[in-house]
Amino acid sequence: MLFPTIDFAIFFAIAFTVNWLLNPYAGPWKLAMIALSYFFYGWVGWNYCLLLLATTLITHFGAVAIHGSKTDRSRRWAMTISVAALLGLLGWFKYYGFASVNIDNLTHAVGLGRAVPLLQVALPIAISFFTFMAVSYVVDIYRRELEPARPLDLALYLSFFPHLLAGPIVRGNELLPQLRKRRNPNEVDYSRALWLIMTGLFKKVVISSYVSTAIVTPVFTAPSQHSAPEALFAAWGYAVQIYCDFSGYTDIAIGLALLLGIRFPINFDAPYTARSLQDFWRRWHITLSRWLRDYLYIPLGGSAGSDAKTMRNIMITMVLGGLWHGAAWTFVFWGALHGFGQVVAHLRRRRRVAQGLPPMADGPVRVWSQRFWTFQFVCLGWIFFNASGLSQAFAVLGRIFFGWGSPSPLVNPLLVVVVVGTIALQYVPSLNVAKLQATFSRQRVAVQIGVLAFVLLGITTFGPPGVAPFIYYRF
Amino acid sequence: MICVSAFGVWLLLFAPMLQHNAQVSPVGTRRTVALDILGPIAALSRGVQLSRIVSETDAATGRDKNQPGNGSTLTVLGASKHPTKPRGGTSTSTLPPGATTTSTTAVNILHPTAANHLRVLIVGDSLGLDLGGPLQNDLANTGVVTAVLDGHESTGLTRPDYFNWPAELQSDITADQPQVVVIMIGANDPQDFLGPPDVPYTSPQWNPMYAARVAAFMQIAEKGGAKVIWVGMPPMQSGDLSAKMLDLNTIVQQQAALQKPPVSFISSWSLLGNPPGTYSAFITNSSGQEVNVRTPDGTHLTPAGGEVLSQAVINYMQNTLHFVLP
Repeated sequence: MLFPTIDFAIFFAIAFTVNWLLNPYAGPWKLAMIALSYFFYGWVGWNYCLLLLATTLITHFGAVAIHGSKTDRSRRWAMTISVAALLGLLGWFKYYGFASVNIDNLTHAVGLGRAVPLLQVALPIAISFFTFMAVSYVVDIYRRELEPARPLDLALYLSFFPHLLAGPIVRGNELLPQLRKRRNPNEVDYSRALWLIMTGLFKKVVISSYVSTAIVTPVFTAPSQHSAPEALFAAWGYAVQIYCDFSGYTDIAIGLALLLGIRFPINFDAPYTARSLQDFWRRWHITLSRWLRDYLYIPLGGSAGSDAKTMRNIMITMVLGGLWHGAAWTFVFWGALHGFGQVVAHLRRRRRVAQGLPPMADGPVRVWSQRFWTFQFVCLGWIFFNASGLSQAFAVLGRIFFGWGSPSPLVNPLLVVVVVGTIALQYVPSLNVAKLQATFSRQRVAVQIGVLAFVLLGITTFGPPGVAPFIYYRF
Repeated sequence: MICVSAFGVWLLLFAPMLQHNAQVSPVGTRRTVALDILGPIAALSRGVQLSRIVSETDAATGRDKNQPGNGSTLTVLGASKHPTKPRGGTSTSTLPPGATTTSTTAVNILHPTAANHLRVLIVGDSLGLDLGGPLQNDLANTGVVTAVLDGHESTGLTRPDYFNWPAELQSDITADQPQVVVIMIGANDPQDFLGPPDVPYTSPQWNPMYAARVAAFMQIAEKGGAKVIWVGMPPMQSGDLSAKMLDLNTIVQQQAALQKPPVSFISSWSLLGNPPGTYSAFITNSSGQEVNVRTPDGTHLTPAGGEVLSQAVINYMQNTLHFVLP
């Protein structure tokens, strides 16, 4: 079920009512919210609910086994088997088709014949998100950072519909305590929730859709038919499109959860103001970044060892992070590109330290230069991220470098204002945004209703006919 | 309270539009329930003149319902046609560097050049988009073709109330004056014609009615003198859908042969099957490599699958229609 649809509006009206009616009764509330979440997920395809159920069961029994193990060795085995089972499901559904065709072609090329059966497995929506949540839960229990939750709590933690389809990837210690206690309707900041939902809808339905149809899709579909400025704006435009799409989704998810009395962590913090790739990953898809850091990069050794090991760990983390987004070489390349960029930055820092030089002074020119080049590097990565194949990505890049001197009718003033304006808005201090939110919250109810209805009118009027699925639904 | 009220205001404003969308959505329980719920709300909206705010805004922003296609907000959009393509005139917005689209009546269109591009229009549903992307790019790569892609997901010829393809095609032809039109459409068509009177898909009247619509669509495409290529539907993973596609292909192929001049029909049935004519997600290419040509939904094409059809269309243009393309 897509958030910006009438189907979801009706669903949420029911969920909202049920949530607060059953709020005083913990057991029935959990059961009802689980049922609603499974209904929400089943709207896409009922058979997917079985996968979610299987993941929940593996996670539960794995957690119980880890917790009940007497020795460290048996704990480790229980954790390893649980994580392997969870990742095995993810691997089967998400990567088998990609892996099999590549292995098959490789074995065929070296004369070993057809070694792997070719099967196309349907990719269940959201599997990457709830699998990562399940893995973090199991590992947290192994690390004794979390006690096993009751089955109903765990089932709701994994399936809770506001985060189910595309995150945020919420940790057990963030969500489980909230599910166990009764929520106080008087403590809910409804105005903030509605603000988030409206801004999320506007970002997704109006900005992201406009940029996609105005420049990104035409250029990526037929790169050779477009000039360098158009290709450049398509790359920048995709940066705007994916930010508005994904952060818009997150805003809506956080707002919806807030209306139900649940708080989610933030997932974006003005990512295009980042001064380095490391900084970018602290601001972009924050809940995935910290997952990769805590459950992959640090267990690999992080930056504690030699330079070579640190570089290896960065590359493994970023390539696997890229592969998490999809089973395609473009995502591998995208991850590797970000890994390479961070490795170079790491080596430059180390060299400066080795030379005994102090950190460089942060003058405005240096700061803005860092921001500019980081953004360009991120956009370079987005070209591979959005392309249907490496050849298409290189075709777009080719136009950027060699397509100068021809007309660029797609680059019109409105597009420039939308792309530049959306990026510029990230430089508005979050304090000012909070002030604006607070001002909205202080208005009389009638004014707030009027503003929201007006924004809805704007979204429906300026949005395209129809709603494209969120980009991150694919992952 | 605020949320419910704002939603209520919005619902009142847009109830007539939502009702219209429900009317044009696929026949079924969801449509029936939506119409039952939205009917009284839309009547109230019209009664208190609230709906006029929306209709006036739509008219002011050029989104009134008289536009070609009359797209519905219930569709899920895919890659759309060139958004800045001007209507009612020669297109310049899609031109590759250095090309012109001056009238080519005096120029041999079989030998397009960098100065005199061949104009190709590609139209279709979601499968048409799957073909259209690679085809548009491949044609543009020749350096002598300007290709315009106009694709709309979840559309077809059965439900002009949902999306009016004949009007859309007419509009495209007026705007782009294509010399070649490539059509791939039909995956959503095995459904009832809505009347009155309704014509169920299973009724004996359905095939002649569909054939008439296909013929009319082909005639619009050919009216400006363009060569028309219709790409048939491929086999589907669902046996039932596959059988329906085979029936549609038969109708299209028959109508193609009846047109004057005949419309070219390219069968994708054998191109995307392994063995030919049987659904397969993978096919073996000429280098002996396995290529994934279908998406996991068992219906649509991957970019590689679209590329297979694109090459088939280009080969057909070169070998059968005798276009000289680099």
